[in-house]
Formats: sequence, structure tokens, C-alpha cells
Amino acid sequence: MSAPSQILLEAANISRTYGAETILADVSLTVRAGEVLTVVGPSGSGKTTLLALLALLLEPTSGCILVAGRDAASLSDAERSRLRNTFYGVIFQTAQLIGTLSVLDNVLLPAFLAGQSRQKRADARELLDRLGLSARADFLPHQLSLGQKRRTALARALLLRPAVILADEPTNDLDARRAAQVADFLLDLPSAGYALVLVTHDEPLAERAGNCWRIREGKVTPLARVLAVPPARDDEFLLHAVGSEPS
Amino acid sequence: MLRLIVNSLLRRRWQSLATILGVALGAGLLLAVFLLYHGFEQGLERGRQRLGADLLVVPGNATVDPDRALFAGSPLSVYMDKKYADQARKIPGVRRVEAQFFTQSLKLECCSLGTESRLIGIEDQVARRLAGTSPDGREKLEPDEVIVGSELLGGIGKPGALIELLGDIFRLAYRLEPTGTALDHSILMPMESARNLAAKSEALKPVWQEAGDPHELISALLIEVDNPSRIKDVGRTLEDLGPLKVIRAADTFQRLKRLMTAFVFLLAAAGALTALGGIAYLLGHFSSVAWDRKGEWALYRALGASKPRMAQLVVGEAVALALGGALMGLPLGYGLYRLAFAQLTAQNAFPFIAPGGSLLVAAAAGTLGLYSLIGLLSAAVPAFRVAQLEPALTMAQGDID
Repeated sequence: MSAPSQILLEAANISRTYGAETILADVSLTVRAGEVLTVVGPSGSGKTTLLALLALLLEPTSGCILVAGRDAASLSDAERSRLRNTFYGVIFQTAQLIGTLSVLDNVLLPAFLAGQSRQKRADARELLDRLGLSARADFLPHQLSLGQKRRTALARALLLRPAVILADEPTNDLDARRAAQVADFLLDLPSAGYALVLVTHDEPLAERAGNCWRIREGKVTPLARVLAVPPARDDEFLLHAVGSEPS
Repeated sequence: MLRLIVNSLLRRRWQSLATILGVALGAGLLLAVFLLYHGFEQGLERGRQRLGADLLVVPGNATVDPDRALFAGSPLSVYMDKKYADQARKIPGVRRVEAQFFTQSLKLECCSLGTESRLIGIEDQVARRLAGTSPDGREKLEPDEVIVGSELLGGIGKPGALIELLGDIFRLAYRLEPTGTALDHSILMPMESARNLAAKSEALKPVWQEAGDPHELISALLIEVDNPSRIKDVGRTLEDLGPLKVIRAADTFQRLKRLMTAFVFLLAAAGALTALGGIAYLLGHFSSVAWDRKGEWALYRALGASKPRMAQLVVGEAVALALGGALMGLPLGYGLYRLAFAQLTAQNAFPFIAPGGSLLVAAAAGTLGLYSLIGLLSAAVPAFRVAQLEPALTMAQGDID
């Protein structure tokens, strides 16, 4: 068994309430480099809230989140923003593409915000190429299929090579073939050194991913644990996993 | 970030164009109002400076519009005995007396701007007073020399040019600075030369038969008093000299100024309302944008835009639209101003000084600056609201494309 890799993200006894309603209660978990962490649970169980807390999109009502060892509560807005920009790659439940931007510019959005759009242009094109979207680079989002939108969002999440990928129901609304393609792609990411936090109600996908946690009534409990972390591989190896598909 | 702003504006081109047009109309109106306002202010001030007199004396039977006579410089085709000039000079408290002699009007086909040119005879002391505006500082006009108003003779009006007036040849001494009054369309010559021309004029013969030898006549007296407190007394003494009409410049100036102030106030109010309307228009636009594009802004936040960066994005779009509109409004405003200017020149109703090139550039730069500020102000509240958006909104919302 290989030595445990670096802890990137740690939630310690976090809770989140909305008024009198408790969404998450006393949740603790750890995300390591090259590791996949899967959270399953029915709709409305608090999966998305957990992801939002881990992504620093929300603040916990109690408890703390450590990002690379630093308490997120002590970070300024600028520092949290910088982490959201470069440390995290978030794949939202819906693709969340800007309708007035081309596919290429949507992928480049984190780079625009980081002031690196010129340097990252080639990387964005390469990602689109590997995801089978190079012919769609100048299209607007409304001209894409659902699967193509998801892959565009995937490319956007990976553009700045973040340490942690957070994916919220990534196979939702996709047909079985497209869902499998996206799942294959995502589950290969840890082997390239990315930490992947996968939130889904798709139990077969969770079983494939391993290191599975269940969320119920605001509590998170382990279902299975990963036993081995595969060695890091080059992005190129895994990115060709998802081929092109007709629009 | 600039690319995000440009991209956003270009992708919403009809919406952007409509906003720019709205701003352009406001900016154009504001520029035109400012140029007219400034022209009136300058014209009034120049009229007052040019007059340099406290009292205007004309024959008692003259039908005189004091405003036009004093500030628009309209010549009066009336005559009185020149002895009044000498008598006026002897009144205690009188510092300066200038007599003027008006002859007939001319039509200068080559350079008339629709207004008749007037021949005015002046005394040597007037030439001395005008010396400051002469390129060579000359203080005296030769009998065959003339000074022309700024609007006459155009490109050929260089010093030394020969001009034929009613059959006599004159040499151009120099051209006057613009005054915004009828003086801009006048030709000034030595008093005796004007009288000689008038005496020869067939058109004026009936006038001389009634009024007498033109060499013994004058049309008006401009009188400066050494102490403003004595103006009324000097005026009364002048009225006692004979059948004369005395117009007090201060009264006329104050009355005209009140009238002009009301007019200028209207213009200034129109300008201020236009600017406020611009703010309200853009504020409404960007408040609506902040709300309509909430999903997009929240996504930016979720992807790592800090609060200041979000504010910059919103304000950047606002300033770009305001600046684009103001740029488009500049030619619009200038065109509107030229239309109004042409009307004012034709009517010669108010003294008006057309702004020079440097003022036009400053006004254009000021308009751009003001509308940048308006863009900034109108986007301030929406930008603040956008910056406060919770990035978690992205997790809860549906697709935004």
C-alpha cells in the first residue's frame, strides 16, 4: 500500500443550517491529492450544500474547512476568490455556460478572471480538442447538445489545472452512453494527480468510484474506503477517454 | 477583463446600440446647450467690454431698441447736430465722448452672411481705443483706411487689401476680433471719410435735405462717466442739452442680463436635467442588467472573481457604454449647436461669441469625462449589488445560457 498523499482539503465538524432547518450536521471528511471521494444520497439530502461548502462558495454555520492546511474562515474575499479560481475546478449540476460567450471563451473564463487568457488560449484549444469539441470552439452554448455543454464545463474546470475537482451530479440528465463517457473521464482524473470529489445520486457510478460516503438527514457516513492511490499519470493519457459525439 | 467587457457588449449588440444611442442623444444635447450657454455668456461680457460707455445718446426722435443699439451694436440711421459732442465733453464728470456717424448699408455679395454690412464713421480716439485689437497696434486711421468686422471679406480680408466702397477705393487696415454683435458685419472708417461717402450718396440725398449737411451731423454719442455714481446726473444734464434720448448702459445691461440670465438658466437647467436623465437612464439600465444577469455574475464569483473584480466588470460595461454614447453624441451636439448658431446669427438678436477651437476640444473632452463619470455613478449601486452576490447561487440556479 502506498503512503497517504497530501491532504488538500479537510472539513472538520462542519454544519450548515438555513433558519431552523439543519442541512448538514457535524460533517468531517478529508480530500487527498490523487484521491476520489464520492458522496451519495437522495435529492435534497444536502449533497450540493456540502459541495458548495467545500468549494468555498458557502460558509459553514459551525466547524471549519482547511484548504491546504489553512482555515478558510481566516481567508479574505480576495484569497477565497483566488482559491476558487485556481485551486478548485467546479463542475456544476448544470453546465452554467455564458450564453453570449463562445465555447472557447467559456472554457477560458477562469483564465479571463485570472488575467491569463492569452497564455491559456492554447491550453483551452487543446482541452477542447481532447474532449472532441474543437470543431465547436466558436459555437455559442445554445448550439451545443447537453453532452457537449457538459464537456465544455469539464474543460473549463480543468483549464487552470486545479488541485481539486468538485463535480455535482455530473451524469445527471445524460443518456447512458454519454453518462458513461463523462464518468470514465472523471474517474480517470485522480490517476493524473487531481483530487476528485464526486457528488451523485447515481449509486452505480458511486460504486465504480469507490471511497464512497452516504449523506442522509445531514449526516455523512462512510460506505467504502479507497485502499490504494494510483500513481499520477499525464493528463494526455486520460483526456482522450471521451470522444466526440454528434450534436 | 477588458475582453469580457467588450465581448459582453458585442454579443448584446442591439441592446448595447440602443443604450449608446440613448446616451448619445443626451450627450449631444448637453454639448449643444453648453456651447450655446458659453456663447451667450461670452457675448454678453464682450458686449459690455466693447461698449466701454455708460451712456448712449441718440436724437430724441430716434426709434431705438436699447438692447440692439448697445449690445447687438445695431447702427441707427438717425442724425443730430455734432455740437452735442462738444457740449457733452464739457459736462462735469464726463471722462470720454465718442461720436459715431452711420451711413447707408451695403450688400457685400462676396462675403455677406445674410446680414447687411454697415458703414460707420468713427473718431480718431475710437481708433486709438481699438488699437489693442490691431495687429500692428496702430492708433490712427488714414482717410482711405477702413477696419472691418470679423465676419466680413473672409479669406481676402488681409491688411493692405483694397476695397471699393460706393465708388471709392479704401485700404484695409485690419480686421476686428469677433464680438458676436452687428459690429462683426460693420466697416469702420474715419468720420470725415464716412461723411464724404454719405454726402455723395444718391440714396441719402433726401435725408440731407431734411437734416442738413452731413459734415455737421453725427448719429450717436457714447459717453463714459468718471464715477458711476454720477451717471444719472450726467444723463439728466445731457437730456437738458436738447431733444436727445439718453440710454443708460447699466440699466439696459442689467435688464438684458436678467433676460439673458433667465434664458441661460433655462439652458443650464436643460443641461442639468439632461445629465440627470442620463444618470437615471443608465441607472435603470444597469439595475436591470444586474438583476437579469444575476446568474452570469454569480458564475463569475464562483469561478474566482473577487468582489472588486465584479464591480470593475459592471462599472467597466457602464463606462464603455456611456463613453461610446458620448463619443457618438459629440458630432450630434456640434451639429445641433451649429443649427442654433446659424439661427442666432441670422436674427442677430443676442450678442453671441462662437466658441473657439480650443473651447470646442475642451467641451468635447468635458462631455466625455462627464459621461464617464455618469456611467460610473449610474453603475455604482448595481455594481455594489452584483459584488454582494453569493457565489453559491450558481449551485442552485438552472442553466444560464
